[in-house]
Amino acid sequence: MNLAGALGASALVAALAATLFALGVSTWGVRRRHPGAIAAGRRALYATAALLTLAMGTLAAALLRDDFSLLYVTSVSSRDMETAFKWAALWSGQPGSLLLWTWLIALSLAGVARHLQRALPWARGHAQAVAGAVLAAFLGPLVFLASPFEVAAVTPPDGVGLNPLLVDRAMLIHPPMLLAGLTSTVAPFAIGAAALLAGHVDSSWVRAARPWALASFVVLATGNVLGGWWAYTVLGWGGYWAWDPVENSAILPLLPTIALLHGFAVQERRGMLRLWNLAMAAAAFSLAVFGTFNVRSGLVSSVHSFAQSEIGPYFLGLLAVVILGSVALLAWRSPRLSGPHDFESLLSRETGLIVNNYLLTAIALVILGGTLFPVASELIRGVRVTVSEPFYDQTVGPLLAALLLVAAGGVLLPWRRGAARSLRRRFAAPAVVLAGSAAVLWTAGVRDPFALGGIVCAATLASVTLREYWLGARGARRARGRGVASWPLAVAALFRRDPRRYGGYLVHLGAAVMAVAVVASTAYQQQVRVAIAPGESFEAGRYTLTYERLEGRPGTANGVESDAVATVTVREGGRLLGEMQPGRRFFTNFPDQPMGIVAVRSTWREDLYLFIQGWDEDLVAEFQAFVNPLVIWLWTGAGLLVAGGLLAFGWQRPPPRGAAAGAAGHA
Amino acid sequence: MQPDTPDAPVTERSRADRARRAWGPVLLLAALLLLAAELAGGPPPAAAQEVDAEQQLAIERQLLCPQCVNERLDQCARAICEDMRAIIREQLAAGTPPDQIIFFFRARYGDRVLAQIPREGFNLLLFGWVAGSLALVALGGGLALRRMRRSARRHAGAGEA
Repeated sequence: MNLAGALGASALVAALAATLFALGVSTWGVRRRHPGAIAAGRRALYATAALLTLAMGTLAAALLRDDFSLLYVTSVSSRDMETAFKWAALWSGQPGSLLLWTWLIALSLAGVARHLQRALPWARGHAQAVAGAVLAAFLGPLVFLASPFEVAAVTPPDGVGLNPLLVDRAMLIHPPMLLAGLTSTVAPFAIGAAALLAGHVDSSWVRAARPWALASFVVLATGNVLGGWWAYTVLGWGGYWAWDPVENSAILPLLPTIALLHGFAVQERRGMLRLWNLAMAAAAFSLAVFGTFNVRSGLVSSVHSFAQSEIGPYFLGLLAVVILGSVALLAWRSPRLSGPHDFESLLSRETGLIVNNYLLTAIALVILGGTLFPVASELIRGVRVTVSEPFYDQTVGPLLAALLLVAAGGVLLPWRRGAARSLRRRFAAPAVVLAGSAAVLWTAGVRDPFALGGIVCAATLASVTLREYWLGARGARRARGRGVASWPLAVAALFRRDPRRYGGYLVHLGAAVMAVAVVASTAYQQQVRVAIAPGESFEAGRYTLTYERLEGRPGTANGVESDAVATVTVREGGRLLGEMQPGRRFFTNFPDQPMGIVAVRSTWREDLYLFIQGWDEDLVAEFQAFVNPLVIWLWTGAGLLVAGGLLAFGWQRPPPRGAAAGAAGHA
Repeated sequence: MQPDTPDAPVTERSRADRARRAWGPVLLLAALLLLAAELAGGPPPAAAQEVDAEQQLAIERQLLCPQCVNERLDQCARAICEDMRAIIREQLAAGTPPDQIIFFFRARYGDRVLAQIPREGFNLLLFGWVAGSLALVALGGGLALRRMRRSARRHAGAGEA
């Protein structure tokens, strides 16, 4: 008898039983208004999470102990792999990643159940029932279709090892972060569905769901950025985002999540967007499920895809159930969803936030269309086409620039109603910035409309945002008397007083910085390719690169047979800057899948990005070098964005603001 | 009044404040100039013998690997892509215009090797989808805003009456 296999498989079966019990007993408890039953349902959800934790632990132990009696361990691990990569192997195959996915969902939902006990007691039973159903839907295939605990008939002496693409430190953090982000969309979905089922669709569910949506945003955004960073440093094609179908499915749920965070503010303040916000919560979760289906079905092929398997159709069915169920639920409760609300003027912040929601929806629709179109073309016409970067640059690019402008406009507009005179005053400076920056860039020779538009919109948003901090800090200093608080302290105080608002502004600032970096590194990338012998040099941008030598190094671990590493010295204007070592890595078990080793030299102004494409027997090597402007600012902007998201958590329930809401002006 | 009310009466603004306020735009302008100089200064004019290499890269960037997904020809390490790059080099040397080189690969491997999806025939549906999405969101959004505004006015009216 196989201990790991038996323990893991029984943990999964027990988890399925526990989650079905949670579903049943919570439903019964809601119907009979039986608090004891509801409490039992909550504990069953905790038990599901605990049992899945046990399953994760069992699989991790099997990987660490090189237990090749499990088929999964053989398929993704080998004896010579470093411990770190054995951990990464946990989510590197189909069944393992599905287990991680389900475990993360279980943790989210157990957290929701615990949170709602106090935050939303009247909906906790409903939420638990939804949680039970969702978990059962994911545990089903894990138990019956793709168990990571299948035992091999014959135990092989060693495993195949990790796929070469995944032999990278980033694999330790990028996939779990992304999966955590995708799965966290289940929390606002479950809370929204519970509110709908319970029939109370006022703002109380919004208050309960907001921290979860914010967490979802932060984790998803981090996961996507880490994905870009992995693509940049490992895949070796000079860029960080290729609009690959799977990248698209990772970013899609982020869009309704951003919409949701802005929509929540409108609903809390003005009572609008009740139906819309619920729809966005459902859309975020549906798109996350679409993503898992996308990765697992082999429908849309991609570097990220797992092999085709029978659970593809299952997830398609699940997706249909989630979407149709959400629509039916919304239709059923729609009479309760239209209620009194305030909407005084179109010239108000609420309009800005609503337009932001619409723009995000448009972006999501365009990306979804681009992702699915190749499938449609092949199904209907039998012709394979590729929808790649140029399409998205042309369609999504302008929409994202518009989103930056709407963000700037929304920040400038006051809640409720903007008086014409004060609006003119507020918009004057940003309009000057907009026109002025366009003029400056044009005069300086920036003629690419994509670059010009993107940077101008980003500069406008950045200046508006910085001005908000300045105004806020000035007000704080005035209130306390000059000299009491220094400027940095005054700004810090803003975050303490209204973290949600000023944290959000920091997210805007990060987005503006990222936008400039994306535009610059896309429109002004320089690419050079040469084939040269050792001792020869070539120019890339301001740099002179000299190919010194190429040498082989035997691999030591992780299935690496050998590395071929070129040493290249980098000079700028005759001054030696250092050495770069691009290369190629060969794997024992994957002879036809060598991986590039990318060398990157970053400065604040640009990255010098170098890789080696091949060489002949005379060691004449073909190099590709990119000069990517401002890439470091992409990561910096992402850091600001994530920091802003984290700071926004610090928010505490505000004093009730009735008519005074408008008096806060910019608030 | 809230301590951070941004728009204090004009009379309260001291000169020092105004001077400080002027710093923002100046800094922004300086940053933009620096950025523009960085970007527009750009690549030095390529040496004469490199024109071919650049032209070749420009063609490769318009093509995709026929065996991978979404992998540009200039990046792909597969044998088939090396062959394709060699063909492009030969054709360029023979003086074939870039359009014809791209057409050759399209005829050989099908539309999926084109980085820019051709805007014709069935593919127009994709662009129709984009236009439709934008129109739907713009029209639907506009109508929804109007409806919300109206129903809010009605409620307000009912409240006052």
